[in-house]
Amino acid sequence: MLQPRLLGPLRALERAFVPSIRSAQHSFQPQSLIQRSLSASITLPKTTPSISRTLLPFSQVRYASHASQGTANRHSRDPAGKRLGAKRTGGEYVVPGCIIFKQRGSKWFPGDNCAMGRDHTIYATQAGYVRYYADPEKHPERRYIGIVFEKDGQLPHPRNAPSRRKLNMVTIPRMDPVAFQSDMVASIDENGTQVGSVEAVNAVSGPQLRPGYMYREANWQIGRAAEKAGISAMPYDRRNRWLAWRKRQVRAERAAQMKSLKGKKKAGKKGK
Amino acid sequence: MAHCERASKPLLQCLRSSYARSLTGFQVQARGFQSTAGVAEAQSEQSQPFHKNPDPELVSSPRLERRLMRQGTTPIGSRRRRAALQDSPNLPFEQLPYQCFQEARNVLLADRAEKLAEIEKMRQRIARVEALSTEEVGGEQSRKSRLGAMQLHLERLKIHADINDPLVKRKFEDGQGDMSKPIYRFLADRKWREYRRKILVQRITQMKVVPDVLPHCDPSVDTKLYFGKRQVQPGDFVLANVSTSAPKLDVQMFERGEKLVTIAVVDPDVPNVEADSFDYKTHYLAVNVPLSAVNTKVDLSQLSDDSQVVLPWLPPVAQKGSPYHRLSVLIMEQKDAKPLEFATVKANEADRDNTLLRTIQARYHLKAIGAHLFRSQFDETTLEVMNSIGFKGADLELRRKKVEPLPYKRRNPSSFR
Repeated sequence: MLQPRLLGPLRALERAFVPSIRSAQHSFQPQSLIQRSLSASITLPKTTPSISRTLLPFSQVRYASHASQGTANRHSRDPAGKRLGAKRTGGEYVVPGCIIFKQRGSKWFPGDNCAMGRDHTIYATQAGYVRYYADPEKHPERRYIGIVFEKDGQLPHPRNAPSRRKLNMVTIPRMDPVAFQSDMVASIDENGTQVGSVEAVNAVSGPQLRPGYMYREANWQIGRAAEKAGISAMPYDRRNRWLAWRKRQVRAERAAQMKSLKGKKKAGKKGK
Repeated sequence: MAHCERASKPLLQCLRSSYARSLTGFQVQARGFQSTAGVAEAQSEQSQPFHKNPDPELVSSPRLERRLMRQGTTPIGSRRRRAALQDSPNLPFEQLPYQCFQEARNVLLADRAEKLAEIEKMRQRIARVEALSTEEVGGEQSRKSRLGAMQLHLERLKIHADINDPLVKRKFEDGQGDMSKPIYRFLADRKWREYRRKILVQRITQMKVVPDVLPHCDPSVDTKLYFGKRQVQPGDFVLANVSTSAPKLDVQMFERGEKLVTIAVVDPDVPNVEADSFDYKTHYLAVNVPLSAVNTKVDLSQLSDDSQVVLPWLPPVAQKGSPYHRLSVLIMEQKDAKPLEFATVKANEADRDNTLLRTIQARYHLKAIGAHLFRSQFDETTLEVMNSIGFKGADLELRRKKVEPLPYKRRNPSSFR
């Protein structure tokens, strides 16, 4: 609760004045002088400014009625642990994607065959054994986490040694990318209805039985209808501000229309 | 009108008016006007208008520049300079009517004369030390070190003599520098180190050519690589059909003298599925290639088969699905510019596969002085190249091996049953 700090001295003033006022004025109401002067201060003539008006605009004080409710909210300021730290120790076997270390900021850096995630998590990119190490030649102060392929491998490797890598690949017969399939067709025979896709070159023009049991042209042919008919759209010219204005106008009109419809609907609902 | 034309216009007008005012008195005896008008006269003599036949020294509009470049001539100097030259009387420096400029030139000329005198003195001192016997100098070692230091100082003096010459600077910027002279070599080296060398070093270290192919490489020659007419930047991907024929190299040395170099093209990324690792393959090896500051062009397909080419060019191809191949071109200086014995090299290095360049380097005492790098991967032209060179495994494709999950992450381990 905020209270004017000057109330204390004013009360003392009041105490000093009141007996004389009481003795002078018998019709005095049992209401404090301060409140009266506060409420009446606006109407008072300017030649006689009241005490409270001249003294009031000073700092205000907060008494300990709310803030003193001390330790009630302690738990909201003591959040749950984020489960950071090492998830794999040195020498443990990991596979690609294994999370090795969770951290805030880069306390550890990714070394050989490791990478750093979006939240600085260190994870493995190769299968192998975890090593925690420092590499003063690479960086004098950083600590690294790396993966070695052999169980007793050491990190860091010498700087001018060829990098140790694994292929991690197998050979399969070469598969050429499937040719572009343009449309769906359906065929009905004794086996039932078969729906499949055909290549653009094999697609028969003209209506065929297509999904949805419709005899119609292929989608790509429908899409080319305007081209066949020789209809061409006006090429877009970004400097054509007249066209842009007309389009914008149409869009605004449409929006206004939709808005009015929406309002009507709501009104109707309300009426019901 | 190009920006620079517009920008230089007030300056030019100012120059022209002051020039006209100051020259009114003595223009008759000044020879300058004849040479000034040289450009303008040449233009007026031509029957064709300028835009039909642009002059590479004067063209300043981007359109005409582009046309010139399409014709094969590059415009000379900066566009700003060309624009300024269009209207300038093109006086030689010594006739320019600026007092302060001429004073400054005098200072530079005096400095140059001083440096030339020092060079002469240094040469005499070197000759004197060389004439002395070993005992007088105090041993072979001290003689060598003294001579070396003096030579170094002499080279430095040669550069200092010319470094402030505006004509030298202009010639170098126009690309007309004579690389047999130390000053132009110095300028070219500085320019190379400012940008192109940094890029090269970054590429060969980031793509790990340096620890994978060779332990160290401190490039000291500027290497450019061309397939046909097209230049390949270090690390570019090159289509398989482009790299079927051997590339051309432009190796610019910045030191004087002639060197014999070994040129090797090594691919450290040949997939080896059985060993689950990568193999090396030497795509090209040539020894005893002469290089000097003025003799820079090396066409790898034109080197002689019976004295230089140990392993002829093998077109690089990448199997489908394999990681990109780094074709690293390395230029290695032979010790003391002595030729290697071709027959023995040919006998020893006949195997393309798994010959480490480190071994070759150690065996013949080579030192890497230049490097370049291009990459190849499977593309639409690879298959025909594979067929033409008879590549085994053209019908195979590499796929990632499935990662075996950790035991506790297995979906259906035996312990569940």
